[in-house]
Amino acid sequence: MPTLADIKGVGLGLKRELIPQIQSLYQNPSISNINFLEIAPENWIGAGGKAVADLAWFVEHFPIVCHGLCLSLGGPDSLNVNFLKQVKSFLSTNKIPLYTEHLSFCSDIQHGKAGYLYDLLPIPFTEEAVHYVANRIRQTQDILGQRIAVENASFYVAAPISTMDELTFIKAVLEEADCDLHLDINNIYVNSINFRFDAHEFLRGIPGERIVYSHVAGHLQVKPDLLVDTHGENIIDPVWALLDEAYQLFGVFPTLLERDLNIPALPELIPEIDKIAAYQARHRLQQPKVA
Amino acid sequence: MMLDFQRYQIAFTAHIRNPSLHKKPARVADRRMAIYREIVFNNIFGSVSACYPVCKNILGVRAWRKLMRQFFASHQASSPIFREIPQQFLEFLKSTKDLPNYLEQLAHYEWVELAIGTQLTETLKLSKKTDLLNEKPLLAPAHMLLEYDYAVHKISKRNQPKETEKTYLLVFRNTENQVKFIELNTMTFQLLQLIDKNNMTGKQTLERLAEAIKHPNADILIKFGAEILADLADQGAIIGSVNNYLV
Repeated sequence: MPTLADIKGVGLGLKRELIPQIQSLYQNPSISNINFLEIAPENWIGAGGKAVADLAWFVEHFPIVCHGLCLSLGGPDSLNVNFLKQVKSFLSTNKIPLYTEHLSFCSDIQHGKAGYLYDLLPIPFTEEAVHYVANRIRQTQDILGQRIAVENASFYVAAPISTMDELTFIKAVLEEADCDLHLDINNIYVNSINFRFDAHEFLRGIPGERIVYSHVAGHLQVKPDLLVDTHGENIIDPVWALLDEAYQLFGVFPTLLERDLNIPALPELIPEIDKIAAYQARHRLQQPKVA
Repeated sequence: MMLDFQRYQIAFTAHIRNPSLHKKPARVADRRMAIYREIVFNNIFGSVSACYPVCKNILGVRAWRKLMRQFFASHQASSPIFREIPQQFLEFLKSTKDLPNYLEQLAHYEWVELAIGTQLTETLKLSKKTDLLNEKPLLAPAHMLLEYDYAVHKISKRNQPKETEKTYLLVFRNTENQVKFIELNTMTFQLLQLIDKNNMTGKQTLERLAEAIKHPNADILIKFGAEILADLADQGAIIGSVNNYLV
Protein backbone atom coordinates (compact mmCIF):
# COMPACT_ATOMS: atom_id res chain seq x y z
CA MET A 1 0.00 0.00 0.00
CA PRO A 2 1.52 3.36 -1.04
CA THR A 3 2.40 5.79 1.73
CA LEU A 4 3.23 9.48 1.64
CA ALA A 5 6.86 8.46 1.06
CA ASP A 6 5.84 6.90 -2.28
CA ILE A 7 4.65 10.27 -3.54
CA LYS A 8 8.01 11.52 -4.77
CA GLY A 9 9.67 12.91 -7.85
CA VAL A 10 7.40 14.16 -10.62
CA GLY A 11 3.72 13.57 -11.23
CA LEU A 12 1.14 14.33 -13.87
CA GLY A 13 -2.54 15.23 -13.60
CA LEU A 14 -4.56 12.28 -14.93
CA LYS A 15 -6.82 13.84 -17.54
CA ARG A 16 -9.20 11.54 -19.46
CA GLU A 17 -7.37 12.19 -22.73
CA LEU A 18 -4.15 10.92 -21.17
CA ILE A 19 -5.55 7.66 -19.78
CA PRO A 20 -5.01 5.42 -22.84
CA GLN A 21 -1.68 7.12 -23.65
CA ILE A 22 -0.21 6.48 -20.21
CA GLN A 23 -1.51 2.91 -20.26
CA SER A 24 0.06 2.17 -23.61
CA LEU A 25 3.39 3.76 -22.67
CA TYR A 26 3.53 2.13 -19.23
CA GLN A 27 7.12 1.17 -18.37
CA ASN A 28 8.31 2.78 -21.60
CA PRO A 29 11.55 4.66 -20.80
CA SER A 30 10.11 7.81 -22.39
CA ILE A 31 7.71 8.31 -19.47
CA SER A 32 9.97 6.96 -16.74
CA ASN A 33 9.99 10.32 -14.95
CA ILE A 34 6.24 10.12 -14.27
CA ASN A 35 6.36 8.71 -10.73
CA PHE A 36 2.81 9.40 -9.61
CA LEU A 37 -0.54 10.65 -10.89
CA GLU A 38 -3.09 13.04 -9.48
CA ILE A 39 -6.88 12.85 -9.69
CA ALA A 40 -9.77 15.02 -8.50
CA PRO A 41 -12.06 13.05 -6.19
CA GLU A 42 -15.01 15.04 -7.58
CA ASN A 43 -14.43 13.33 -10.94
CA TRP A 44 -14.11 9.78 -9.68
CA ILE A 45 -16.18 9.25 -6.53
CA GLY A 46 -19.19 7.07 -7.33
CA ALA A 47 -18.29 6.79 -11.01
CA GLY A 48 -19.19 3.48 -12.63
CA GLY A 49 -18.64 2.05 -16.11
CA LYS A 50 -15.29 2.60 -17.77
CA ALA A 51 -14.08 4.73 -14.84
CA VAL A 52 -14.03 1.68 -12.55
CA ALA A 53 -11.61 -0.29 -14.73
CA ASP A 54 -9.49 2.80 -15.43
CA LEU A 55 -9.18 3.67 -11.76
CA ALA A 56 -8.34 0.10 -10.80
CA TRP A 57 -5.59 0.01 -13.43
CA PHE A 58 -4.00 3.26 -12.28
CA VAL A 59 -4.23 2.39 -8.59
CA GLU A 60 -2.38 -0.82 -9.36
CA HIS A 61 0.33 0.78 -11.49
CA PHE A 62 1.02 4.21 -9.94
CA PRO A 63 0.94 5.96 -6.57
CA ILE A 64 -2.05 8.32 -6.68
CA VAL A 65 -2.67 11.72 -5.09
CA CYS A 66 -6.14 13.19 -4.59
CA HIS A 67 -6.40 16.90 -5.22
CA GLY A 68 -9.87 18.18 -4.39
CA LEU A 69 -11.72 21.11 -5.92
CA CYS A 70 -15.09 21.36 -4.22
CA LEU A 71 -14.52 20.97 -0.49
CA SER A 72 -14.93 24.73 -0.18
CA LEU A 73 -12.74 25.16 2.90
CA GLY A 74 -13.55 28.87 2.94
CA GLY A 75 -17.22 28.54 2.01
CA PRO A 76 -20.02 30.23 4.00
CA ASP A 77 -22.20 27.11 4.00
CA SER A 78 -21.48 24.28 6.40
CA LEU A 79 -18.70 21.84 5.55
CA ASN A 80 -20.05 18.95 3.47
CA VAL A 81 -19.44 16.17 5.98
CA ASN A 82 -21.24 13.61 3.88
CA PHE A 83 -18.95 14.33 0.95
CA LEU A 84 -15.89 14.18 3.23
CA LYS A 85 -16.93 10.73 4.37
CA GLN A 86 -17.12 9.68 0.74
CA VAL A 87 -13.63 11.11 0.22
CA LYS A 88 -12.37 9.17 3.24
CA SER A 89 -13.74 5.92 1.90
CA PHE A 90 -12.45 6.69 -1.60
CA LEU A 91 -8.93 7.33 -0.28
CA SER A 92 -8.92 4.13 1.69
CA THR A 93 -10.44 1.92 -1.04
CA ASN A 94 -7.95 3.17 -3.59
CA LYS A 95 -4.95 3.28 -1.24
CA ILE A 96 -4.38 6.99 -1.80
CA PRO A 97 -2.04 8.44 0.84
CA LEU A 98 -2.43 12.19 0.16
CA TYR A 99 -5.44 14.49 -0.12
CA THR A 100 -4.95 18.18 -0.75
CA GLU A 101 -7.42 21.04 -1.19
CA HIS A 102 -7.43 24.77 -1.96
CA LEU A 103 -7.38 27.82 0.27
CA SER A 104 -10.47 29.12 -1.48
CA PHE A 105 -14.22 28.66 -1.57
CA CYS A 106 -16.53 27.24 -4.24
CA SER A 107 -19.98 27.35 -2.66
CA ASP A 108 -22.30 30.02 -1.31
CA ILE A 109 -25.69 30.56 0.30
CA GLN A 110 -28.41 32.38 -1.61
CA HIS A 111 -32.04 32.65 -0.49
CA GLY A 112 -31.10 30.58 2.55
CA LYS A 113 -29.89 27.66 0.43
CA ALA A 114 -26.33 26.39 -0.03
CA GLY A 115 -25.09 25.86 -3.57
CA TYR A 116 -21.93 24.97 -5.46
CA LEU A 117 -20.34 27.23 -8.08
CA TYR A 118 -17.69 24.65 -9.08
CA ASP A 119 -14.87 27.18 -9.28
CA LEU A 120 -12.17 28.46 -6.96
CA LEU A 121 -13.06 31.81 -5.44
CA PRO A 122 -10.85 34.01 -3.24
CA ILE A 123 -11.30 34.11 0.53
CA PRO A 124 -10.89 37.62 2.00
CA PHE A 125 -7.77 37.74 4.17
CA THR A 126 -9.15 38.69 7.59
CA GLU A 127 -8.62 37.46 11.16
CA GLU A 128 -12.11 35.98 11.22
CA ALA A 129 -11.42 34.11 8.00
CA VAL A 130 -8.17 32.68 9.39
CA HIS A 131 -9.99 31.20 12.40
CA TYR A 132 -12.92 30.04 10.30
CA VAL A 133 -10.82 28.29 7.64
CA ALA A 134 -8.37 26.81 10.16
CA ASN A 135 -11.28 25.39 12.09
CA ARG A 136 -12.71 23.77 8.95
CA ILE A 137 -9.32 22.29 8.06
CA ARG A 138 -9.11 20.81 11.56
CA GLN A 139 -12.63 19.44 11.19
CA THR A 140 -11.63 17.92 7.83
CA GLN A 141 -8.51 16.30 9.29
CA ASP A 142 -10.58 14.92 12.18
CA ILE A 143 -13.15 13.36 9.86
CA LEU A 144 -10.53 11.91 7.52
CA GLY A 145 -8.27 10.80 10.34
CA GLN A 146 -5.29 12.14 8.41
CA ARG A 147 -3.49 15.41 7.72
CA ILE A 148 -4.34 17.35 4.59
CA ALA A 149 -2.29 19.86 2.66
CA VAL A 150 -3.84 23.13 1.51
CA GLU A 151 -2.84 24.90 -1.68
CA ASN A 152 -2.14 28.61 -2.07
CA ALA A 153 -4.76 29.59 -4.67
CA SER A 154 -4.53 31.94 -7.62
CA PHE A 155 -6.97 34.83 -7.76
CA TYR A 156 -7.93 37.93 -9.71
CA VAL A 157 -9.82 40.14 -7.28
CA ALA A 158 -8.33 41.43 -4.04
CA ALA A 159 -11.04 41.72 -1.40
CA PRO A 160 -11.13 45.35 -0.22
CA ILE A 161 -12.05 44.09 3.25
CA SER A 162 -8.78 42.13 3.61
CA THR A 163 -6.74 43.21 6.62
CA MET A 164 -3.57 41.24 5.83
CA ASP A 165 -1.59 40.11 2.81
CA GLU A 166 -1.81 36.63 1.29
CA LEU A 167 1.39 35.31 2.81
CA THR A 168 0.38 36.37 6.32
CA PHE A 169 -2.99 34.72 5.77
CA ILE A 170 -1.50 31.44 4.54
CA LYS A 171 0.98 31.26 7.39
CA ALA A 172 -1.67 32.03 10.00
CA VAL A 173 -4.02 29.35 8.61
CA LEU A 174 -1.28 26.69 8.43
CA GLU A 175 -0.20 27.48 11.97
CA GLU A 176 -3.67 27.51 13.48
CA ALA A 177 -4.92 24.45 11.58
CA ASP A 178 -1.61 22.63 11.95
CA CYS A 179 -1.87 21.22 8.45
CA ASP A 180 0.57 20.76 5.56
CA LEU A 181 1.22 23.03 2.61
CA HIS A 182 0.61 22.18 -1.00
CA LEU A 183 2.74 24.84 -2.65
CA ASP A 184 1.56 25.98 -6.07
CA ILE A 185 4.54 27.65 -7.73
CA ASN A 186 2.58 29.00 -10.68
CA ASN A 187 -0.03 30.54 -8.37
CA ILE A 188 2.65 32.53 -6.58
CA TYR A 189 3.76 33.93 -9.92
CA VAL A 190 0.20 34.59 -11.18
CA ASN A 191 -0.72 36.44 -7.99
CA SER A 192 2.56 38.37 -7.96
CA ILE A 193 1.69 39.84 -11.37
CA ASN A 194 -2.00 40.33 -10.61
CA PHE A 195 -1.31 42.02 -7.28
CA ARG A 196 2.17 43.44 -7.86
CA PHE A 197 4.37 41.81 -5.30
CA ASP A 198 7.76 40.16 -5.51
CA ALA A 199 7.25 36.44 -6.10
CA HIS A 200 10.70 35.47 -4.83
CA GLU A 201 10.27 37.44 -1.63
CA PHE A 202 6.90 35.73 -1.15
CA LEU A 203 8.52 32.34 -1.69
CA ARG A 204 11.21 33.07 0.89
CA GLY A 205 8.47 33.74 3.44
CA ILE A 206 6.84 30.33 2.95
CA PRO A 207 7.13 27.94 5.94
CA GLY A 208 9.12 25.33 4.02
CA GLU A 209 8.87 22.68 6.71
CA ARG A 210 5.16 22.32 5.94
CA ILE A 211 5.55 21.65 2.19
CA VAL A 212 4.58 18.09 1.28
CA TYR A 213 3.55 18.60 -2.32
CA SER A 214 3.63 21.12 -5.13
CA HIS A 215 2.15 22.12 -8.46
CA VAL A 216 3.69 23.81 -11.43
CA ALA A 217 1.79 24.89 -14.54
CA GLY A 218 1.39 27.34 -17.37
CA HIS A 219 -1.08 30.23 -17.41
CA LEU A 220 -2.64 32.70 -19.80
CA GLN A 221 -1.49 36.28 -20.04
CA VAL A 222 -4.64 38.34 -20.66
CA LYS A 223 -3.02 41.73 -20.13
CA PRO A 224 0.47 42.74 -19.00
CA ASP A 225 -0.83 43.01 -15.43
CA LEU A 226 -3.39 40.21 -15.54
CA LEU A 227 -2.67 36.49 -15.68
CA VAL A 228 -5.35 33.80 -15.64
CA ASP A 229 -4.45 30.44 -14.14
CA THR A 230 -5.69 28.25 -17.02
CA HIS A 231 -3.16 25.38 -16.85
CA GLY A 232 -3.38 25.50 -20.63
CA GLU A 233 0.08 26.63 -21.72
CA ASN A 234 3.70 25.67 -21.23
CA ILE A 235 5.49 26.75 -18.06
CA ILE A 236 7.25 30.09 -18.53
CA ASP A 237 10.81 30.90 -17.44
CA PRO A 238 9.98 33.03 -14.38
CA VAL A 239 7.97 30.10 -12.99
CA TRP A 240 10.87 27.71 -13.63
CA ALA A 241 13.10 30.15 -11.77
CA LEU A 242 10.69 30.09 -8.81
CA LEU A 243 10.65 26.30 -8.77
CA ASP A 244 14.44 26.30 -8.87
CA GLU A 245 14.63 28.66 -5.92
CA ALA A 246 12.00 26.71 -3.99
CA TYR A 247 14.07 23.51 -4.24
CA GLN A 248 17.14 25.54 -3.29
CA LEU A 249 15.42 26.99 -0.23
CA PHE A 250 13.41 24.04 1.02
CA GLY A 251 14.95 20.96 -0.56
CA VAL A 252 13.25 18.77 -3.17
CA PHE A 253 9.53 18.00 -2.75
CA PRO A 254 7.16 16.05 -5.04
CA THR A 255 6.01 18.22 -7.92
CA LEU A 256 3.10 17.75 -10.26
CA LEU A 257 2.72 19.17 -13.76
CA GLU A 258 -0.83 20.48 -14.13
CA ARG A 259 -2.30 20.58 -17.60
CA ASP A 260 -6.07 21.05 -17.80
CA LEU A 261 -6.60 22.89 -21.09
CA ASN A 262 -5.20 22.53 -24.64
CA ILE A 263 -3.95 19.13 -23.56
CA PRO A 264 -1.39 17.95 -26.10
CA ALA A 265 -0.37 14.37 -26.80
CA LEU A 266 1.56 12.85 -23.90
CA PRO A 267 4.99 12.97 -25.62
CA GLU A 268 4.66 16.76 -25.81
CA LEU A 269 4.29 16.98 -22.03
CA ILE A 270 7.39 14.88 -21.40
CA PRO A 271 9.98 17.65 -21.86
CA GLU A 272 8.39 19.62 -18.98
CA ILE A 273 8.22 16.50 -16.81
CA ASP A 274 11.85 15.68 -17.58
CA LYS A 275 12.85 19.26 -16.83
CA ILE A 276 11.23 19.12 -13.37
CA ALA A 277 13.03 15.80 -12.79
CA ALA A 278 16.33 17.36 -13.88
CA TYR A 279 15.84 20.27 -11.45
CA GLN A 280 15.11 17.80 -8.68
CA ALA A 281 18.18 15.69 -9.51
CA ARG A 282 20.40 18.76 -9.48
CA HIS A 283 19.07 19.95 -6.12
CA ARG A 284 19.29 16.52 -4.55
CA LEU A 285 23.03 16.70 -5.09
CA GLN A 286 23.22 20.07 -3.36
CA GLN A 287 22.85 20.60 0.33
CA PRO A 288 19.40 22.07 0.92
CA LYS A 289 19.16 24.94 3.37
CA VAL A 290 16.24 23.21 5.06
CA ALA A 291 16.26 19.44 5.28
CA MET B 1 -24.64 34.28 12.52
CA MET B 2 -22.91 35.51 9.43
CA LEU B 3 -19.37 36.86 9.71
CA ASP B 4 -18.24 40.03 7.95
CA PHE B 5 -16.09 38.24 5.40
CA GLN B 6 -18.96 35.87 4.64
CA ARG B 7 -21.27 38.77 3.87
CA TYR B 8 -18.65 39.89 1.37
CA GLN B 9 -18.39 36.37 -0.10
CA ILE B 10 -22.12 36.14 -0.59
CA ALA B 11 -22.29 39.56 -2.25
CA PHE B 12 -19.38 38.43 -4.43
CA THR B 13 -21.12 35.25 -5.62
CA ALA B 14 -24.53 36.91 -5.90
CA HIS B 15 -22.97 39.29 -8.40
CA ILE B 16 -21.25 36.45 -10.29
CA ARG B 17 -24.53 34.56 -10.48
CA ASN B 18 -26.64 37.49 -11.60
CA PRO B 19 -24.69 40.66 -12.42
CA SER B 20 -27.74 42.56 -13.67
CA LEU B 21 -29.58 42.07 -10.38
CA HIS B 22 -26.71 42.27 -7.89
CA LYS B 23 -24.01 44.93 -7.92
CA LYS B 24 -20.42 43.87 -7.43
CA PRO B 25 -19.03 44.37 -3.92
CA ALA B 26 -17.93 47.96 -3.26
CA ARG B 27 -14.39 49.00 -4.24
CA VAL B 28 -13.74 45.93 -6.39
CA ALA B 29 -12.27 46.56 -9.86
CA ASP B 30 -14.87 45.72 -12.49
CA ARG B 31 -12.41 44.39 -15.09
CA ARG B 32 -11.12 41.91 -12.52
CA MET B 33 -14.62 40.95 -11.46
CA ALA B 34 -15.33 40.26 -15.13
CA ILE B 35 -12.91 37.30 -15.03
CA TYR B 36 -15.03 35.56 -12.38
CA ARG B 37 -18.28 36.45 -14.13
CA GLU B 38 -16.93 34.66 -17.20
CA ILE B 39 -14.99 31.65 -15.89
CA VAL B 40 -17.55 30.49 -13.36
CA PHE B 41 -20.44 30.73 -15.80
CA ASN B 42 -18.46 29.26 -18.71
CA ASN B 43 -17.44 26.26 -16.66
CA ILE B 44 -21.04 25.39 -15.80
CA PHE B 45 -22.23 26.32 -19.29
CA GLY B 46 -19.69 23.88 -20.75
CA SER B 47 -20.60 20.97 -18.46
CA VAL B 48 -24.33 21.34 -18.99
CA SER B 49 -24.19 22.05 -22.74
CA ALA B 50 -22.08 18.95 -23.38
CA CYS B 51 -24.86 16.80 -21.96
CA TYR B 52 -27.75 18.42 -23.84
CA PRO B 53 -26.71 18.98 -27.49
CA VAL B 54 -30.21 18.45 -28.91
CA CYS B 55 -31.93 20.78 -26.41
CA LYS B 56 -29.28 23.39 -27.11
CA ASN B 57 -29.66 23.06 -30.86
CA ILE B 58 -33.45 23.28 -30.74
CA LEU B 59 -33.58 26.33 -28.51
CA GLY B 60 -30.79 28.05 -30.41
CA VAL B 61 -27.65 29.61 -29.01
CA ARG B 62 -29.27 32.75 -27.56
CA ALA B 63 -32.20 31.10 -25.83
CA TRP B 64 -29.96 28.33 -24.55
CA ARG B 65 -27.52 30.83 -23.10
CA LYS B 66 -30.39 32.72 -21.48
CA LEU B 67 -31.69 29.51 -19.95
CA MET B 68 -28.21 28.66 -18.64
CA ARG B 69 -27.96 32.15 -17.15
CA GLN B 70 -31.29 31.60 -15.43
CA PHE B 71 -30.10 28.22 -14.15
CA PHE B 72 -26.89 29.67 -12.78
CA ALA B 73 -28.66 32.65 -11.20
CA SER B 74 -31.48 30.76 -9.53
CA HIS B 75 -30.43 27.18 -8.90
CA GLN B 76 -28.37 26.27 -5.86
CA ALA B 77 -26.56 23.12 -6.99
CA SER B 78 -26.39 20.62 -4.15
CA SER B 79 -23.70 18.17 -5.34
CA PRO B 80 -19.91 18.65 -5.34
CA ILE B 81 -19.57 15.86 -7.93
CA PHE B 82 -18.89 17.31 -11.39
CA ARG B 83 -20.76 14.74 -13.45
CA GLU B 84 -23.90 15.54 -11.45
CA ILE B 85 -24.02 19.15 -12.72
CA PRO B 86 -26.24 18.15 -15.69
CA GLN B 87 -28.62 16.43 -13.28
CA GLN B 88 -28.90 19.68 -11.33
CA PHE B 89 -29.99 21.33 -14.57
CA LEU B 90 -32.68 18.68 -15.00
CA GLU B 91 -34.04 19.58 -11.57
CA PHE B 92 -34.03 23.24 -12.50
CA LEU B 93 -35.99 22.53 -15.71
CA LYS B 94 -38.89 21.10 -13.69
CA SER B 95 -39.64 24.51 -12.28
CA THR B 96 -39.00 26.45 -15.49
CA LYS B 97 -41.87 27.82 -17.53
CA ASP B 98 -42.18 29.02 -21.14
CA LEU B 99 -40.29 26.11 -22.67
CA PRO B 100 -41.60 23.69 -25.32
CA ASN B 101 -43.76 21.01 -23.65
CA TYR B 102 -41.47 18.20 -24.72
CA LEU B 103 -38.23 19.85 -23.59
CA GLU B 104 -38.11 18.43 -20.08
CA GLN B 105 -38.55 14.88 -21.38
CA LEU B 106 -36.04 15.45 -24.19
CA ALA B 107 -33.52 16.73 -21.64
CA HIS B 108 -34.16 13.68 -19.48
CA TYR B 109 -33.55 11.42 -22.47
CA GLU B 110 -30.27 13.21 -23.20
CA TRP B 111 -29.19 12.99 -19.54
CA VAL B 112 -29.88 9.24 -19.39
CA GLU B 113 -26.88 8.50 -21.59
CA LEU B 114 -24.56 10.13 -19.04
CA ALA B 115 -26.40 8.56 -16.11
CA ILE B 116 -26.24 5.00 -17.48
CA GLY B 117 -22.71 5.46 -18.78
CA THR B 118 -21.43 6.34 -15.31
CA GLN B 119 -23.80 4.41 -13.04
CA LEU B 120 -21.99 2.42 -10.38
CA THR B 121 -23.05 -1.23 -10.48
CA GLU B 122 -22.28 -4.48 -8.74
CA THR B 123 -20.92 -7.51 -10.53
CA LEU B 124 -23.63 -10.15 -10.80
CA LYS B 125 -23.06 -13.86 -10.58
CA LEU B 126 -24.74 -15.54 -13.52
CA SER B 127 -25.59 -19.15 -14.28
CA LYS B 128 -23.04 -20.84 -16.51
CA LYS B 129 -25.70 -21.72 -19.02
CA THR B 130 -28.20 -19.04 -19.95
CA ASP B 131 -31.78 -20.31 -19.75
CA LEU B 132 -34.09 -17.35 -20.17
CA LEU B 133 -37.32 -19.35 -19.82
CA ASN B 134 -36.51 -21.60 -16.87
CA GLU B 135 -34.35 -19.16 -14.96
CA LYS B 136 -34.68 -15.47 -14.14
CA PRO B 137 -33.38 -13.33 -17.06
CA LEU B 138 -31.06 -10.54 -15.93
CA LEU B 139 -30.91 -7.16 -17.59
CA ALA B 140 -27.55 -5.36 -17.90
CA PRO B 141 -26.74 -4.02 -14.39
CA ALA B 142 -26.87 -0.40 -15.57
CA HIS B 143 -30.20 0.06 -17.32
CA MET B 144 -33.37 2.11 -17.25
CA LEU B 145 -36.83 1.37 -18.57
CA LEU B 146 -38.26 4.65 -19.71
CA GLU B 147 -41.70 5.85 -20.67
CA TYR B 148 -41.98 9.19 -22.45
CA ASP B 149 -44.96 11.12 -23.81
CA TYR B 150 -42.96 12.13 -26.88
CA ALA B 151 -40.78 10.27 -29.34
CA VAL B 152 -37.78 11.86 -27.65
CA HIS B 153 -35.25 9.79 -29.61
CA LYS B 154 -36.47 11.26 -32.90
CA ILE B 155 -36.55 14.90 -31.86
CA SER B 156 -34.24 17.30 -33.66
CA LYS B 157 -34.35 20.93 -34.74
CA ARG B 158 -36.12 19.81 -37.93
CA ASN B 159 -38.35 17.32 -36.21
CA GLN B 160 -40.02 18.98 -33.26
CA PRO B 161 -43.06 17.09 -32.02
CA LYS B 162 -46.43 18.75 -32.42
CA GLU B 163 -48.30 15.96 -30.69
CA THR B 164 -47.64 13.49 -27.96
CA GLU B 165 -46.52 9.97 -28.93
CA LYS B 166 -46.13 7.39 -26.19
CA THR B 167 -42.57 6.07 -26.38
CA TYR B 168 -40.92 3.22 -24.50
CA LEU B 169 -37.17 2.83 -24.33
CA LEU B 170 -34.69 0.48 -22.77
CA VAL B 171 -31.35 2.16 -22.15
CA PHE B 172 -28.46 0.01 -20.94
CA ARG B 173 -24.71 -0.17 -20.71
CA ASN B 174 -23.23 -3.20 -22.46
CA THR B 175 -20.17 -5.15 -21.37
CA GLU B 176 -17.97 -2.89 -23.54
CA ASN B 177 -19.24 0.05 -21.46
CA GLN B 178 -21.18 1.50 -24.38
CA VAL B 179 -24.63 2.97 -23.76
CA LYS B 180 -27.30 1.51 -26.05
CA PHE B 181 -30.91 2.51 -26.67
CA ILE B 182 -33.65 0.10 -27.78
CA GLU B 183 -37.16 1.25 -28.65
CA LEU B 184 -39.77 -1.09 -27.21
CA ASN B 185 -43.41 -1.81 -27.93
CA THR B 186 -45.89 -1.68 -25.06
CA MET B 187 -45.82 -5.41 -24.51
CA THR B 188 -42.05 -5.75 -24.36
CA PHE B 189 -41.93 -2.76 -22.05
CA GLN B 190 -44.40 -4.45 -19.70
CA LEU B 191 -42.49 -7.72 -19.93
CA LEU B 192 -39.22 -6.06 -18.95
CA GLN B 193 -40.91 -4.18 -16.12
CA LEU B 194 -42.15 -7.49 -14.74
CA ILE B 195 -38.69 -9.03 -15.09
CA ASP B 196 -37.19 -6.04 -13.28
CA LYS B 197 -39.63 -6.06 -10.39
CA ASN B 198 -40.11 -9.75 -9.73
CA ASN B 199 -38.04 -12.78 -8.94
CA MET B 200 -39.54 -15.09 -11.54
CA THR B 201 -38.34 -17.23 -14.41
CA GLY B 202 -38.86 -15.99 -17.95
CA LYS B 203 -41.73 -18.43 -18.35
CA GLN B 204 -43.44 -17.38 -15.13
CA THR B 205 -43.06 -13.75 -16.13
CA LEU B 206 -44.66 -14.39 -19.50
CA GLU B 207 -47.55 -16.24 -17.85
CA ARG B 208 -48.02 -13.28 -15.53
CA LEU B 209 -47.98 -10.97 -18.54
CA ALA B 210 -50.56 -13.08 -20.39
CA GLU B 211 -52.80 -12.74 -17.35
CA ALA B 212 -52.25 -9.01 -17.06
CA ILE B 213 -53.01 -8.23 -20.69
CA LYS B 214 -55.72 -10.96 -20.87
CA HIS B 215 -53.99 -12.70 -23.75
CA PRO B 216 -56.23 -15.54 -25.06
CA ASN B 217 -53.36 -17.99 -25.57
CA ALA B 218 -50.54 -18.03 -23.01
CA ASP B 219 -48.51 -20.62 -24.97
CA ILE B 220 -48.31 -18.40 -28.04
CA LEU B 221 -47.25 -15.48 -25.83
CA ILE B 222 -44.55 -17.61 -24.20
CA LYS B 223 -43.18 -18.68 -27.58
CA PHE B 224 -43.24 -15.12 -28.85
CA GLY B 225 -41.81 -13.79 -25.56
CA ALA B 226 -38.95 -16.30 -25.65
CA GLU B 227 -37.92 -14.89 -29.03
CA ILE B 228 -37.98 -11.36 -27.66
CA LEU B 229 -35.83 -12.32 -24.69
CA ALA B 230 -33.37 -14.13 -26.96
CA ASP B 231 -33.17 -11.08 -29.19
CA LEU B 232 -32.52 -8.79 -26.21
CA ALA B 233 -29.78 -11.17 -25.10
CA ASP B 234 -28.25 -10.97 -28.60
CA GLN B 235 -28.19 -7.20 -28.28
CA GLY B 236 -26.50 -7.36 -24.89
CA ALA B 237 -29.47 -5.93 -22.98
CA ILE B 238 -30.00 -9.24 -21.20
CA ILE B 239 -26.69 -10.53 -19.91
CA GLY B 240 -27.77 -14.02 -18.83
CA SER B 241 -29.88 -15.72 -16.23
CA VAL B 242 -29.76 -16.72 -12.58
CA ASN B 243 -31.38 -19.66 -10.85
CA ASN B 244 -31.32 -18.44 -7.26
CA TYR B 245 -34.66 -16.69 -7.64
CA LEU B 246 -37.39 -17.09 -5.10
CA VAL B 247 -40.36 -19.10 -6.25
